[in-house]
Amino acid sequence: MLSPMILAQVLLNGLSLSAVYILIALGFTLLFGIMRVVNFAHGSFAMLGGYALYYVYGKYHVPYAVAVPLAAAMVAIASLVLEQFVFRFFYQRMFQSMIGLIGLDLALTFSAVLVWDVYERSIPPAVAGVSRIGGLIIANDRLVVVAIAAAALATFWLFMTRTRYGLAMRAAAEDVEIAETQGIRARTIYRLAFLLASFMAALAGGLYAQIYALSPFMGEQPLLVAFIVVILGGMGSIPGAAIGGLILGFSESILSTFYGASVSAFASFGVVIALLIVRPWGLLGKPE
Amino acid sequence: MSDPITLPRQHVMKGLRIAPGLLGVSLAIVAAVAWPLVFTNPFLLTIGSLVAIYLIASTSLHLVIRMGHISFAHAGMMGIGAYVSADTMMRLSFPFALSVSCAAAASALVGLAIGPIVLRLTGKYFVLVTFLLGEIIRMVFVDWTSLTGGSNGIQAIPPPFAAVASSLGYYYFALGCSLMCMAFCGRILSSEIGRAMDSAKEAEPLAASCGVPIVRLKVVIFTISCGLAGISGALLVHLLRYADPTAFGGLQSLNLVIMNVIGGMGSIYGAIIGTIFLTTLPELLRSYVELQRVIYGIILILVMAAMPGGLVGLVDRLRLITASDRKN
Amino acid sequence: MALLEVTNLGKTFGGLKAVSEVSFGVRAGEILGLIGPNGAGKSTVVNLVSGAYEVTTGTIRFANEEVTSLPAYQRARRGLVRTFQSTAIFGAQSVRENVLRGAHLTNYPGFVPALFGTLEARKRHEAAQALVSEVLRWLDLEGSGDKTAGSLPYGHQKTIGIAIALAAKPKLILLDEPVAGVTAQEAIRIRDTIETVRRSGVTIVVIDHNMRFISGLCDRIVVLHHGQELSQGSPKAVLTDPKVIEAYLGTSHAHALDR
Repeated sequence: MLSPMILAQVLLNGLSLSAVYILIALGFTLLFGIMRVVNFAHGSFAMLGGYALYYVYGKYHVPYAVAVPLAAAMVAIASLVLEQFVFRFFYQRMFQSMIGLIGLDLALTFSAVLVWDVYERSIPPAVAGVSRIGGLIIANDRLVVVAIAAAALATFWLFMTRTRYGLAMRAAAEDVEIAETQGIRARTIYRLAFLLASFMAALAGGLYAQIYALSPFMGEQPLLVAFIVVILGGMGSIPGAAIGGLILGFSESILSTFYGASVSAFASFGVVIALLIVRPWGLLGKPE
Repeated sequence: MSDPITLPRQHVMKGLRIAPGLLGVSLAIVAAVAWPLVFTNPFLLTIGSLVAIYLIASTSLHLVIRMGHISFAHAGMMGIGAYVSADTMMRLSFPFALSVSCAAAASALVGLAIGPIVLRLTGKYFVLVTFLLGEIIRMVFVDWTSLTGGSNGIQAIPPPFAAVASSLGYYYFALGCSLMCMAFCGRILSSEIGRAMDSAKEAEPLAASCGVPIVRLKVVIFTISCGLAGISGALLVHLLRYADPTAFGGLQSLNLVIMNVIGGMGSIYGAIIGTIFLTTLPELLRSYVELQRVIYGIILILVMAAMPGGLVGLVDRLRLITASDRKN
Repeated sequence: MALLEVTNLGKTFGGLKAVSEVSFGVRAGEILGLIGPNGAGKSTVVNLVSGAYEVTTGTIRFANEEVTSLPAYQRARRGLVRTFQSTAIFGAQSVRENVLRGAHLTNYPGFVPALFGTLEARKRHEAAQALVSEVLRWLDLEGSGDKTAGSLPYGHQKTIGIAIALAAKPKLILLDEPVAGVTAQEAIRIRDTIETVRRSGVTIVVIDHNMRFISGLCDRIVVLHHGQELSQGSPKAVLTDPKVIEAYLGTSHAHALDR
């Protein structure tokens, strides 16, 4: 039952899921940690990233390695408009942001339905086929997903730990005024955080759309994932998002392979509810 | 009395209470009873019934929100009542009075079971837990096919009694139930129970020091609220003559919360205004479902960004402005 | 015989021991002071005694009953009541409404009677209103009855907080920093209010960091330092206790107590 082959599949699957989940959750937790907004429209950003990749790679055949970051960057820059006209009014107002951004999510999702249609599309895979490593058969596209996500996360980590802006953002997660003493205005920090968050969400969305399928409602799943990961890890905690993503990705891979998708869903919900009751600030969050 | 330093109490923004007074309420009730005599279109009557039914759900949710907890599981509670009423009537041949009582009891019991645990959570954690619980309830509706018919739901649900089988009859029936439930909620809020609820919401440790049993009060109110949601769900499926899980999922819970938020969370009239507004509005844009949702989303953004007090807050502010204009 | 008996009280947050091995008793009718600089553990002790926090170790006995595991409202029902430093009042309500909420125990007839507005409910409400009027008159707040509590000067608000506590007809009131942040004149007024309350037979525990205020007001004092009990006794005994002098009065920390 537990052959090395299946084990390898499960682990690789877990790794690729985790990678995508961490990407989504990081953006979500950044927005909460720094601006105190609960971005219910996060899934829509992922969905838009999926459509962007569909066009850039699927229709215009830009080489994959360029297409992926390009599509994500396009969505991120375009979404700055939303930052200016919507998000800005909800900073530091958590409750208003919840309802207002639900509205944004609805507007974006159903605008997508109007522009495109409800039917699912697919994005051609990056590379086809399988590789043979040490007697194991591994799907190539999963490897690519892991590689891309790893590259994005590494870049993010370098940015947050090595650059002045990154340090200012981490300080802003504690207290915006402290961050301003670094010489960077709050407005700049917010815009930067927003750009990073939407970039990662769009990137993850492109990968998601390749693994599953692309439709205007595609974003619901990533949104739910973002919530669960961030609750697990602690809202506002960046390392928490990483750990939460790993836990969810691997447990989903293991449980759904051996017990089916339903069990996996019930299990993750159940654990999250239990966690919220017993330790709501998650593994690495701060009790309030 | 015009002390420049202190505001007269009734204009304080705390709850943005409006008190339309006995005259206003009576006029509204007369209008609600009389309009079908002029507009006899059965489609409009069905909308009227829907408004009445959702009023029960949203005003009962208001009780919970009044205590500072925003529940995203309320549609799930409606669903429990809906399926219990449908099953007991169709399989056990219960008369409606009994089946709807079972519906209320079932939802109330679930509320009583989860209440003591989840009501200890604050703010955003309570929102998240109830959201997930609502999802679990919906998944149970889909999976427990023997009782709920799964994703297909239950068809051919009979009306409560022959007399209310028509659109007009059901409208007056739903209106009557709705008025009773709303009066019940209103009575709770205006009584000493309401006073205790408000003090618990405004300054919980202080209220506890005055002897208010915080958790116990929250659980009682939550249980009652869930029971009323069960009644609402039962009335809904007997109107539509079918029950299916999508009507009782996260999206519908969200709608109920938005009805409260848009109307204004400080008073029961906010829930009422919000419900009427949000149940009738989609019907005006019936043919353009997607556009309707986009506009709905934009309205949410605008209201939350500009009018956190909701529509009731707007009314109150207008009254303040006109009142001070009159003084000058 | 002690009205309030605190034995070996301890509270740990995560790894941090905020309070440990604190024991003291409060006799009926006396005013006890609880003093220490910020961070000494005073607020933690108050929160443990009132029921806002759960104890990690130790027991609390009130009126001959063990109350350690009772929630705050149950302690209030037995006569153990407190005031608060932040959110001391229901700011958006009138002064009268504030004190009426304090009178919850007199006012509230039970869920079903409240719902139906029975005769019992009405009688209780009248009794509560009478109680409110009495408390307002007693604390000289009658003039402000209809004013919004949150719009009144801070010193007034602190007095309203005491009025709310009195309306609960307590046996013992914990006053949490009753003069923090008030003007010198307001402090004198509040001090007089506390004396008035004591004269009515209510036992009082005052928490503060100002040694002058405490020693002028209290019969006995408990001094806390780093979460532990440093000294207790009459003001004179405590002020001349070498441990207290070493910790506070002899070093540059002296001013911390006098602020």
